[in-house]
Amino acid sequence: MNVLGIDHRRDMGIRSYPLLVYALTPLLALVLQALLPRLLHGYSWFDLPLLVTIYFALVRRDPIQGTLMGCGLGLFEDALTHHAIGVNGIAKTVAGFLAGSVGVRIDVENHTIRLMLTFLLSLLCSAIYVFIYRVLLGLELQWSWLAELMKAVDNAVIAMVLFPILDRTQMRD
Amino acid sequence: MDSFFVRYRNLLVLLAILMAQIIGLAVQVRRTESGRNTLDPQDTPSVRLIRLWADAVITPPEQLFHTSKLGTEGLWRNYIDLRSVREQNQQLQQTIDRLRLEQASLLEDARQGERLQALMAFQEKYIYKTLAAQALGTSGSDSSRVFNLDKGAADGLRPDMAVITADGIVGKVREVYPASAQVLAINDQTSGAGVILETTRIRGILRGNASGQLQIVGILADQRIHPGEKVLTAGGDQVFPRGLPVGVVEKVVQDPERDSFIIVFVKPAAHLDRLDEVQVITSTEPHFSEEMQQDMATSERLKGPAAASIKEQQKASQIMAERLPGLTDPNAPVTDTTATPAQSAQPGQQPAKPSEAPAPKLMRTLHPDRYTPGAQPEPVKPPTAAPAAQPALSQPPKAERNP
Repeated sequence: MNVLGIDHRRDMGIRSYPLLVYALTPLLALVLQALLPRLLHGYSWFDLPLLVTIYFALVRRDPIQGTLMGCGLGLFEDALTHHAIGVNGIAKTVAGFLAGSVGVRIDVENHTIRLMLTFLLSLLCSAIYVFIYRVLLGLELQWSWLAELMKAVDNAVIAMVLFPILDRTQMRD
Repeated sequence: MDSFFVRYRNLLVLLAILMAQIIGLAVQVRRTESGRNTLDPQDTPSVRLIRLWADAVITPPEQLFHTSKLGTEGLWRNYIDLRSVREQNQQLQQTIDRLRLEQASLLEDARQGERLQALMAFQEKYIYKTLAAQALGTSGSDSSRVFNLDKGAADGLRPDMAVITADGIVGKVREVYPASAQVLAINDQTSGAGVILETTRIRGILRGNASGQLQIVGILADQRIHPGEKVLTAGGDQVFPRGLPVGVVEKVVQDPERDSFIIVFVKPAAHLDRLDEVQVITSTEPHFSEEMQQDMATSERLKGPAAASIKEQQKASQIMAERLPGLTDPNAPVTDTTATPAQSAQPGQQPAKPSEAPAPKLMRTLHPDRYTPGAQPEPVKPPTAAPAAQPALSQPPKAERNP
């Protein structure tokens, strides 16, 4: 893992993308997240909005941007369910903040780091979700750690495919 | 002071956003009288507005996707892939004939049921009007099993309307927007439907678990419940009319939290993970709809005499079976009582009614003789030249010889 100076990293690696990519990628992630489980016969052990949040927070190296994007996408996801609005919002807000903070300090081009980071943040998101639902709100929710683990693995695998595709959309100087 | 905000800007933004969301969550949860926390079943106007925005953003792309998908499928099915249509048409015609015969034979029972209900001042609600709708997207989360429909308030949908397919129940309308609606599937953790087991008539509450399986909870341990038994709606939940198919019992397990209770896992009759077109029950009335009455009249006109003759034959054979004395053979092979009538019926035949084996009834004999079951045998003189090979059969015991 290459640990570099913050200013150096900022100067060297902050990427920029066309506005259309910023607007369409989260929307597409939300639409696909809603559509794909139907096409895959109910299989929904993946979280495309989370992956988009992690990706943009990492490559932009901006915790505030990651926080805002995570919050927006999480709230949107909550609005599509019949659960309380804010549970996914908080989980993805934290994930976006952490990804943006980590992106300042590490080499985010490395595929292994991306894989591990996505896996860990996905697990963290699940843990925060369950914590809020069962402890903070005191609501009943059946859940299984094995399912959350599988979801994290799926997210990491999808990230390995998705992130290089999104890399290709960045603006070149 | 400025340096503090600049230095901890990221953290402060994070805390502010988290705090705002936590307050928003606290508003949505309320405490019940029993001391448990629960989500408000009716969204507050602000929450509903957020859901409405999300729906307005997500529904148009989903509808676009489905329209293009349906267009492609329609082009393929209606213009290209028409090879087996004639055979399918014949099969469907045969099915219609069979169903008409069944309907005609059941018509009298239905009328009698209606009369009895009227006498008992009990009014069963029949499905009067349905609206076909297309299932669009899902919530995208495995902890929230909801999906959207392409019909909404403008089409007459209201909350708590039942959503079904031809195979069985699917869920109920939870939220209605102007041009779309959100349906809560029956396999969600928060759903609930009153159900009844077809044979044992045991009632329970159907709900989903974390992995999306259907289970009936709140049933006391009962040995009579076996896999394969049909599960129907009980009709007491004010959502689903009585008697709609729910699924079949898959397995029965002990409730890990309550000793004397069991959990009955149910295999859903409807394909909940492959929903395409569904029917929303928009109206239920205590009488048959005009369409149903017309359909029944057609069935009676076309197949009435045939159904009546079948019924007469069945009646005659039943009377005959009751009058004739019979004994059950203890060595007879045990028939599989768990097989459903539909499984045991041959194609083209009517499924037999699930009934127990006829118990033998012995009529009182007017002139009993020694062959009458249960009578004392008459004394028989031993044959003078009995064959040596059959002494035991021809000679009754000594004690019975002298009355």
